[in-house]
Amino acid sequence: MSGFADLLAAEIRRERAGLLRAALLAAAVAAATAMLLGLSGWFITAAGAAGLAGAAAGFNYLLPSATIRLLAIVRTGARYGERLAGHAAAFAVLAQVRPALYRAIAGSPPAAALALTSGEASARLVQDVGAIEMAIARRPARAGAAAAIAAGGLLILSVRPVAALLFLLLAGMAVGLTGWSCRRLDEAGQEVQRRQGALRELLGLQLAAAPELRCYRMEDAAIARIAAADAALADARRRQAAAGGAIEAIGALATGAAAVGVFLLAMPAGTALAALGALTAAAAMDGIMPALRERAARSATREAAARLGALFMPDPPPFPKPRSAALTLPGVGTLVPAGARIAITGATGTGKTSLVEAMIGLRHHDAPGIRLGDMPLAALPAATLRAIFAWAPQDAQLLAGTVRDNLLLADPDAAERALWDALDAACLAGVVRALPHGLDSWIGENGEQLSGGERRRLSLARAYLSRAPWLLLDEPTEALDAPTERAVVERLTQRLARTGQGLIAVTHRDAVAVLCTVHVSPATCRAIDPGTPHRAVRVLAPVD
Amino acid sequence: MTPIAAPRRPGRAPLGDLARPSRAAAALMVGDTVAAIGFAGGLAGAVSGAAWWLTLALAAAAARAGIAWVLSGCAAAAGRGTVAAARIRIVRAAFHAGPEARPTSSAWVGTAVDDVDALDGYAARFLPARGAAVIGPLAVLTAIAFASPVSAAILFATLIPFVAAMALAGGAAADRSRRQFVALARLSSLFADRVRALPVVLAFRAEEREAARIGTASQDLASRTMAVLRVAFLSSGALEFFAALSVALVAVYCGFALLGLLPVAIPERLTLGRAFFALALAPEFYAPMRRLAAAYHERQAAETAAARLRPMLDRPVPPAPVVVRHPPRLVFDRVTIRYPDADRAAVADFCLTVMPGETVALVGASGSGKSSLLRTLLGLAPVRAGAIFVGEARLPPGAGVAAAWAGQDPLLLPGTIAEAIAIADPAAPRERIAAAAAAAGLEAALSRRPGGLDAPLDARGGGLSGGERRRIGIARALLNDAPLLLLDEPTAHLDTAAEEEMIHAIAVACAGRTALIATHSSRLAAIADRVVRL
Repeated sequence: MSGFADLLAAEIRRERAGLLRAALLAAAVAAATAMLLGLSGWFITAAGAAGLAGAAAGFNYLLPSATIRLLAIVRTGARYGERLAGHAAAFAVLAQVRPALYRAIAGSPPAAALALTSGEASARLVQDVGAIEMAIARRPARAGAAAAIAAGGLLILSVRPVAALLFLLLAGMAVGLTGWSCRRLDEAGQEVQRRQGALRELLGLQLAAAPELRCYRMEDAAIARIAAADAALADARRRQAAAGGAIEAIGALATGAAAVGVFLLAMPAGTALAALGALTAAAAMDGIMPALRERAARSATREAAARLGALFMPDPPPFPKPRSAALTLPGVGTLVPAGARIAITGATGTGKTSLVEAMIGLRHHDAPGIRLGDMPLAALPAATLRAIFAWAPQDAQLLAGTVRDNLLLADPDAAERALWDALDAACLAGVVRALPHGLDSWIGENGEQLSGGERRRLSLARAYLSRAPWLLLDEPTEALDAPTERAVVERLTQRLARTGQGLIAVTHRDAVAVLCTVHVSPATCRAIDPGTPHRAVRVLAPVD
Repeated sequence: MTPIAAPRRPGRAPLGDLARPSRAAAALMVGDTVAAIGFAGGLAGAVSGAAWWLTLALAAAAARAGIAWVLSGCAAAAGRGTVAAARIRIVRAAFHAGPEARPTSSAWVGTAVDDVDALDGYAARFLPARGAAVIGPLAVLTAIAFASPVSAAILFATLIPFVAAMALAGGAAADRSRRQFVALARLSSLFADRVRALPVVLAFRAEEREAARIGTASQDLASRTMAVLRVAFLSSGALEFFAALSVALVAVYCGFALLGLLPVAIPERLTLGRAFFALALAPEFYAPMRRLAAAYHERQAAETAAARLRPMLDRPVPPAPVVVRHPPRLVFDRVTIRYPDADRAAVADFCLTVMPGETVALVGASGSGKSSLLRTLLGLAPVRAGAIFVGEARLPPGAGVAAAWAGQDPLLLPGTIAEAIAIADPAAPRERIAAAAAAAGLEAALSRRPGGLDAPLDARGGGLSGGERRRIGIARALLNDAPLLLLDEPTAHLDTAAEEEMIHAIAVACAGRTALIATHSSRLAAIADRVVRL
């Protein structure tokens, strides 16, 4: 929490000048609004009296009418400037907050970082960062309210002190009552957050179980459960809206009471001045409303800040580094990368991918007996592991961007030649050459413009580009047809011989398994006898 | 991740039936304007010398407060109604999504929670404000026309340049703000994409580079947004200007008219009361339009959300599961299954006939398509070619069969163990649930837990081991008496003794049903009437 709060406070401090300008302009708007309406009221009332008395000739109409027009222009210009300055400051703050947010997510422990779905991250970025942005842009409202009270108070004071006292009393009551309502609003807001979290979790669970629910025709029951959670959320929202409505009602009541009360108390000073007082009071109260709404929105802002703050975690302590990249596997021995070809095999669900993810520091795993150099695998920091293994994940995950963007992820300094070499080794150079913009072709979100096999080969090419001592390939030929699979394996063999990198492959494909000299099972991490590779033979049953 | 598309045209909202307008809220907003007229009348009466008019002003102020209170509830109810209806639709769509390009459940959750919530402000604030934006000013204008037709004409006259300014600045601003919205959407897609791809970003130690990229995009958005706002605020500036100008013009006109200093004869006899009424009410003329402008971003947010909701709602709904009454004959006729993201078919040209009541074991290496064959029967895997017949009828594309099924990773929902099993037959009496649990070999797990069958499970399976979770899946399949039984690796990860027990339970469950069992175990395959190797 404090990590984010400190960052935000520091960034807001940096934008002090802009926020101050916005606050001054907001004050000018509020003061001009109160004075415009008050002066107009006085003007026509006094003019009416002068007209009746036949004293129109002696009435100085030039000054008030010019002031009225001037106030109208000041109000418009100041409003424009205030909004621009407030938003400029807010955007400048957020331009720093967004990358910091990504750094914080990337730097948190893998279990927390990887549990965040991109939808949720997007919601944090759009809604919560948006709420903070609105809050910063709304900050000048407080200065506006202060100016409205000051300008209104002074103008009414010049009419009759007791009326000004009533005005200040009512303004104070409005602010105080709003503060009291806001406590209820805060509670309701927290309840909304809790219920929304519960709905999110329930939806996630029920939708993940959709196949079971459909098979047993339990979908309607699940939908009813979700509707019940949604109704609970709606109920919390209703309470939140009621508290928000109370603030609007307080504002309307205070405006009316101030206008009427000030008029009555100012009557002894004459109708014209009483009219000035009444309209000034009404306009000034109206000028306080944005600040009351800003106060009401603060609970939502606090919740947004708390959610963002939860993503900021303290930095992990430093860890030692291994002296070499030699890999020790229990029951197998120590292998240096050059020439080593290890296959991790085993049935579905035996923990092959978990082991691989532990090696790349994306998952915590005891990995008993596995050592890297002189250190147990589990004791090594993620950054060290990631420099030692070049990973091609099972789901061949790609960035939304170009082919080049994806390749450069592994080595930002790679030369053009090296990119094509890696693509060639993954049997993808021909495909990329045929794309309209070659390396700079946009491949869509997670490579959706490519086929499944092309995605996998791009992910392989990316791993090849890394100069890490070990290639860690999770199901490298899954979803490839047989001729491509053969070509990929052949070029992989050639490339390994050339680069001297070691290979660790999770696979159930024979073409890859035969390439490997050591076969291990993740459960025991002991060498297993590969035996005769079981060939996938399909026996067609007779059809009648 | 769902792509963020920007609304194309503000006028043609893709919202359609997603949001329900609330007439009551719009009517209350108009009611507020009527109360404002009463308030101005009360003050004007008092200024004319009759102090008792102030009671009208006070009553009108109280009415405005009451309306504000009721309006907030009413608008919130409209928002809630819209959200509840849209949410139930998207949840239904999510449950009925076919096997083709099924988005991840987290993408559905994001849409069902966040995008649907974005409709709330649109229905609660924007729509009522739009409903009142025409009637409100008209009511003010009419009231002022009774007191001072010239003042009303002045107000109306300011409306003409205002509309022209809005059309000019507003059109440009709307266009630019749409582009800015697109830029924001791009930035948030970039962010969401880099969070989605976090494993590879981390694995290649590129987090700092990607953070810098997000920083650059964010700076770019900020400077572009400011360029947009300079124009966008012109339209709100025009609103402010004409709101202020209308007050100033009415004040100056009335003042000069009362002084008798106007150079031309005016067609009305203005009294102080009437003039004051016109002046006090003048700010209300533009108030409804300001309220609408304040809610404008609600509409933008809702349109962006609707652009994401639409394609999910418009997905074709696959037919309901086929219900079979007797053990069916199953025919796979040259069936090819290929998932959307694979080049290679999971199963190609597969032919098999299973006779009614027969138990068939499917064996073969991992990845040979055993699970995919079971999943096609559940409507979870896309059939690209060939046909499946259940009994005499061909299985429609995308449809499944209501079967007793135990998958490789049975999903558990929060609740008790008994409830987890009873998902297969909610009406089952407790004895049958207990019997199914016992037959699936869950007795040891139950005796270890306080409460036995009533022991609570949390969302992550409440400390059940992988094997125990699988047994819950088996217990479900045993409890449900559908005449088709589909078991996917039911004995994986079991030791020999446990496997023996489980095989016995499965053999009992297979009796009198058509059963397909995908397995690696030769001992389980031995109980089948026939073994098919893939």
